[in-house]
Amino acid sequence: MSRLRYLARKIVWLAVTLYGVVTFNFVLFHLLPGNPVRLLARSGHLTPQAVADITRVYGLNHPPLEQYLIYLRGLLHGQLGISYTYRTPVSQMLGQYLGNTILLLAGATILTIAGGVLLGVVAASRRGGGYDSATVTASVIGWSLPTFWTGLILAFMLGVWLHAFPIFGSQTPNAAYTSELQRIADIGSHLFLPTLTLVIVNIAQFVLVARASVIEVLADDFMLTATAKGLLPRRILWRHAVRNAMLPIVTSSALLIGLVVSGAIEVETVFSWPGMGLLVYNAVLNRDYPVIEAAFLVFAIVVLLVNFASDLLYQALDPRVREA
Amino acid sequence: MSAESNRREFLQRAGLLALAIPGAAITLDACSAVATSAKASTIRVGWAIEPDTMNPLTTYSTQAVEVLQLVYDNLIHTGLDLKPQPGLATAWTYSPDGKTITYQLRSAKWHDDKPFTSADAKFTFEAIKSKQLSQFAQWVTDLTSVEAPDAATLVLHFSRPQAFNPGLAIPILPQHIWQSMSASQIQKFTNAKAIGTGPYKFVNWKHGQSIEIARNQDWWGTLPAAKKITWILFQNEDVMAQSLKTGAVDICPEIPPTIWDGLAGAPNVKPISLPSFSFHHIGINVSDNPKSGGNPLLKDRAVRQALSYAVDRKQLVDVALAGHGLPGSVILPAGFGEWHLDIPAGQQYNANPEKAKALLEAAGYTHSGGGVRSSKDGKKLSFRLIAIQSTSVDVAAAQLFRNACAKVGIELTLTTLDANSLGSTVYNSKAPNWDIFVWGWDSGVYDPDYMLGVPLCSQIGSNNDVYYCSRHYDQLYDEQATELDHAKRLALVHQAQQFYYDDAAYIVMWYQAKLQGYRTDTWKGWTPVNGGMILNFTRDNYLKVQPV
Repeated sequence: MSRLRYLARKIVWLAVTLYGVVTFNFVLFHLLPGNPVRLLARSGHLTPQAVADITRVYGLNHPPLEQYLIYLRGLLHGQLGISYTYRTPVSQMLGQYLGNTILLLAGATILTIAGGVLLGVVAASRRGGGYDSATVTASVIGWSLPTFWTGLILAFMLGVWLHAFPIFGSQTPNAAYTSELQRIADIGSHLFLPTLTLVIVNIAQFVLVARASVIEVLADDFMLTATAKGLLPRRILWRHAVRNAMLPIVTSSALLIGLVVSGAIEVETVFSWPGMGLLVYNAVLNRDYPVIEAAFLVFAIVVLLVNFASDLLYQALDPRVREA
Repeated sequence: MSAESNRREFLQRAGLLALAIPGAAITLDACSAVATSAKASTIRVGWAIEPDTMNPLTTYSTQAVEVLQLVYDNLIHTGLDLKPQPGLATAWTYSPDGKTITYQLRSAKWHDDKPFTSADAKFTFEAIKSKQLSQFAQWVTDLTSVEAPDAATLVLHFSRPQAFNPGLAIPILPQHIWQSMSASQIQKFTNAKAIGTGPYKFVNWKHGQSIEIARNQDWWGTLPAAKKITWILFQNEDVMAQSLKTGAVDICPEIPPTIWDGLAGAPNVKPISLPSFSFHHIGINVSDNPKSGGNPLLKDRAVRQALSYAVDRKQLVDVALAGHGLPGSVILPAGFGEWHLDIPAGQQYNANPEKAKALLEAAGYTHSGGGVRSSKDGKKLSFRLIAIQSTSVDVAAAQLFRNACAKVGIELTLTTLDANSLGSTVYNSKAPNWDIFVWGWDSGVYDPDYMLGVPLCSQIGSNNDVYYCSRHYDQLYDEQATELDHAKRLALVHQAQQFYYDDAAYIVMWYQAKLQGYRTDTWKGWTPVNGGMILNFTRDNYLKVQPV
């Protein structure tokens, strides 16, 4: 019962936060200096009449408060508006770009977390050895590399020099695929370099967090008990130490997912990957309010949901959180 | 049509790239090129700016026009010699008074197999005139009525003679698709399945990725060799240039200077620099609006001419533009050939600080305190200067300009803004509160009309970014716009340029070059044209190139 009440309280909070985010976004972006109609009408000898017509079509003639209410009403009806720049429904565009971003980031995030944790745990178990210092050094070097630069260097070495992987886009333009498998292979090869870049620059935090937190647990008394009971070292490490070291990793993962969904903009720029980062970047330059607002709404929803999920995961992992 | 906002984005990216050190390292190395085995059938274009929409009546982007000019036909097209050539009209005649143009139309088919008739052309002109939503409305301002006496004849009646033939600028739309839409419906129409009569049919647009068109086998003209044309969007111009080197694209129409320099010597790649129809200028607020926040001292022509004399345009080109352009003077760029007024170097307001000082002395700015001149009654020559932060060439030019002005006793305070904020500041026609800015213009037609039209009184609140207003200039503009005799019009166009140059509300800094590059092992026969082989008003290079 208290479990249900806890859930209900969390969900109400979620809704309130979401409303706050929606309002904040609306105010923030309408306060930006610059005028979207000026961009829309910035061409040719448009008559003042034509400019007024365009302003009316996009509802920009209403006072700000009314625009806000119209926006809220649209949201409740599932309408995100029409992009000023592309003059296409925002929901349609968002779908395409979000899909591409998820395609790129799902793989990269899973690889980063799983790979980082694996490397970190093994490093912790061989603390002080050659493997440990090599892993830590390598991941710290990766962590300190600028994303943009790393991407360009990889594109240059593996794409231009070795011709091993394509360096732009999410698939070969004009490709005529003979089978679905071929299409997947094409997308896969386009995914390789951006994914590799993301893993290289992000993996360090998981290596370091997993390593530090496992080392801490390994020093606890119950580890000694486990060894004294005669458990296999591998079992001690993975079942007892790692499980107890999971909390910081869950926190880092939630943070990473929140970060990456906003589009790994630098990686998307280097590899011309048509994802959310690019969409938002161009929308800000063009004062495309409907697109910016919708994109930030999506980001907010994802961050809130991930936090919500990590709260629940904490409970599952740690009985102390459940009781508190 | 202005490609200004797009061009500016392009320059922004160019500016960003200049900061990317590894980029320079990459372009230095030219190590590989793939030989294409089979004969090319697709022209693959690499560019860095995406079109806004495929709706020809609502687009403001040069990139969209580039695609649409192959899907839709105009009545008249611009050839590789930049002269008019038949499009949907096989011939056209002017009435003796120049107020009526009669077009003879060919028979053609829409991409959905419906026949094209004069009714479509009539509909297009009338819709643009009555709905006023499109950038094309500027070409039909004087249009009074349209007639289609038979299926193959179109007659346009104007209130004044028309020196510029609007058939050159307007794509003909199918009446059966567009007629039922209201103005606001057209504004929201995405035209995702564009139907035209042109040499290529629209295939698809993958947002953020690519646009594809395929050859129209039923086109009325000589069928082009390329079965398909694809425009591939790059978010990074280094990678775009690399893809030209690796053979993933055949041609890039806009390459930033540093990257373009790096293409030299790459196997099977030819970099080419062409004169453009663009300029960058320093604009001075000369608004007569009582609410204008501009410094009133700038309304003194002598002060403006002194500003113009103070700066060395050759230095601006060499330093800010890395040499990729020509020093500027009048508002019609040198790419316009004979239309461009060539003022002898000795008569230009350029690179002459002594002359600037003399002008300021004569105008009464004789006192000097802390290096800044002022008049007897204490009016100080100190102005605000704004430029677009991300357009690195403009910022560099603004700094050089500021330093040059300091040497003659004029103080400029430079602030940089993002493009949209600068636009809103400059174009705030109710109360323009600024002194001097830097940016540029492109012309979308091979005719002086568009650029000469920028400083008109009637353009205040629209294109006229410095709020210049002169009855004499307006009159010169009107005379050239209605003069059908070429020699007479040329003289008027030159007079208008000289007049505006002398008034010095614009200090044209340079005419930048259009830097392009193409592969020599896939398609041959790319013809150099002022304004660019592609991404220009002529579509003929796409239609005429042949596979190697």
